[in-house]
Amino acid sequence: MSTPSIITNAETETPDLHVLERPPQVLNNRGPLWVTDAVCSIVEGKTPLWWYAAIAFTGTFAAIGGACILYMICTGVGVWGSNNPCFWAWDITNFIFWVSMAHAGSLISALLFLTRQKWSLSISRAAEAMTVFAIICAGVYPAIHIGRVWMVWWLFPVPNSYGMWPNFSSPLLWDVFAVTSYLTVSSLFWFAGMIPDLAVLRDRATTKVRKFAYGIVSLGWLGTARQWRHYEMMYVLLAGLTSVLVVTVTTIVASDCATSVVPGWHATIFPFYFMVGAVYSGSAAILTLLLPLRLIYPQLRDLITPSQLDKVCKLLLLMGSCVAYVYVFELFNAWYSANPFERGAFWERFTGSSAWYAITCLSINLTVPQLFWFKAVRRCLPLVFILAILCNVGMWFERFMIVTSTLTHGFFPSSWKDFHPTIVDILTATGTLGIFFTLFLLFIRFVPIMSMNELKAVLPGTQPHAGAGHSNHSTEETH
Amino acid sequence: MLARVIPIIPRRKHIEMSAHFQGHHLPVAGSKEEPLYALGARFETPEALVHAVDRLRGEGVSLYECFTPYPIHGLAEAMKLPKSILSLLVLGGGVSAVLIALSMQLIPSCIIYPLVVDGKPLNLLALPQYIPIVVALTLMIGAITAVTGMILLGGMPQWNNPMFAWDLFAKDASRGFFIAIEARDRKFSTSALTELLHELGADDITAIHQEASEGQ
Repeated sequence: MSTPSIITNAETETPDLHVLERPPQVLNNRGPLWVTDAVCSIVEGKTPLWWYAAIAFTGTFAAIGGACILYMICTGVGVWGSNNPCFWAWDITNFIFWVSMAHAGSLISALLFLTRQKWSLSISRAAEAMTVFAIICAGVYPAIHIGRVWMVWWLFPVPNSYGMWPNFSSPLLWDVFAVTSYLTVSSLFWFAGMIPDLAVLRDRATTKVRKFAYGIVSLGWLGTARQWRHYEMMYVLLAGLTSVLVVTVTTIVASDCATSVVPGWHATIFPFYFMVGAVYSGSAAILTLLLPLRLIYPQLRDLITPSQLDKVCKLLLLMGSCVAYVYVFELFNAWYSANPFERGAFWERFTGSSAWYAITCLSINLTVPQLFWFKAVRRCLPLVFILAILCNVGMWFERFMIVTSTLTHGFFPSSWKDFHPTIVDILTATGTLGIFFTLFLLFIRFVPIMSMNELKAVLPGTQPHAGAGHSNHSTEETH
Repeated sequence: MLARVIPIIPRRKHIEMSAHFQGHHLPVAGSKEEPLYALGARFETPEALVHAVDRLRGEGVSLYECFTPYPIHGLAEAMKLPKSILSLLVLGGGVSAVLIALSMQLIPSCIIYPLVVDGKPLNLLALPQYIPIVVALTLMIGAITAVTGMILLGGMPQWNNPMFAWDLFAKDASRGFFIAIEARDRKFSTSALTELLHELGADDITAIHQEASEGQ
């Protein structure tokens, strides 16, 4: 459409190129002061009733989960449904589910920061928080699933009186280091990014307790030019390190399965498979968390704009399509390998006693993300919310399918045995959900849920010599 | 001693007392009995701040600090701040992490406790199996260096600061772009600087004194 006009304009030597306008970062021409007030008001306002109700609900689940873990530690792993061929069941399923969900948070905040995708600024803090909390939930399982949890220190290379050392060739040990690094780095990334915003809360604090608490955690940040200089350098470095770490961690977690010779797991596509699955489930999780927030706090509607949510939906669509590709490719490979065990594993996965996991997983993951091709679907936020939850249900079944249907049907038909979760399994899993949402509720209440300094720095007219768009100062006064 | 480590705390030399105000009725923050710390001013726009820094540097003022609610493009250049050395520190942290991670794996695996599985080698021929942990540890130690480096290079943690005596700054530093010219600067003169800052369009020019410390 625009091409002919370019040619005609070029002839008259006044090229009027059709430039797509970048959607505004913050709607309604809000200024930097409005952003500060909008974000801080969530933390500074009176604690709403729904918050108490919600945290009581999620806290109960978390407490029940904690009680189940204690019961398991005191009694033994026999209280879980894990059995002889299926030594890994819900523990590793949930571990992979949570650690994968974490990846999208890092990816959105780090990789999109490095690629200068400014649209992700308003959701990156919440995404990072989601990452940290999901890793905490993931970290619950590896520690307790070893059975004798008081020996967990054997996983670390600590000189000991037995003269024993861990086996560094084992992907399970790589996992220990990968998850530890991931938790450390993503917590640091999250915290370091928050220091300037915590200082804003310190400055605005009206009670002594708040002033003291925010004063301590903001480390005496003043926003001097020198501090910003080092801070910006640190942010780029951390974003770079985190982006690499995301890929490393998924690859290592995928190696847990891929380096074994078990049919159904022994595939080189696994790191890619886990990576795209991770970003897919994480994007869905971000939508699940942000949409209710936007509903509860109307001021966030100008900050988390429909255009940004639209982009997350597109990311979900892209990753969902990659996941679909991997499903098809895995099936093709099973057939093409002509390996009877590999073929048998997949045949069993779709026709055996546990076929319903695979059917649930495929029917959701192959169809739901494809709905996001339609703009009407992406713009209908209640529908997006429901579909995003469905995507994560699908992803949980995918993890469950990969872990259990492979283990329960190994090389020897004589040792095949189905897995059935016990009530302790189920309550521990809902317990991790409880922990996740409890932590997220605390996050909403006590720290700024958006990176105010990053947002303000990219608003029109907030930088010297920024060219057009110096109109903000007049509009600020009106808010 | 502390003043050498943390550059923001002024050394108590060459300090002008508040008696030398020469008729300028400046608002005063902090305790008048205490020595003057700095002359603070607030600008409405980042452009004005960058311009002011240019002018002040031209006048030979060197001990000053700018405070902004978000990073301002071109401010560090105007202040002639050097590039942050943080990337070098992180490189150092990363390289040492590689060495630590390799020796942490190779020494137990090859020397102290060789765990031979399927007769496979454990020495450098088996390097690929050691790489995942090397990568994970390098990234972790790199990130720890980056954050601790940023905190220490930025003069943190330092929970109190003479600037907090100035209510306008302490209550809501996000409402403007602040500058503080320290009293120990060689070119410091309350009257001349006040005039200059006025001319540059600054608001709320204030003499910031140290706060009375109860212990002394």
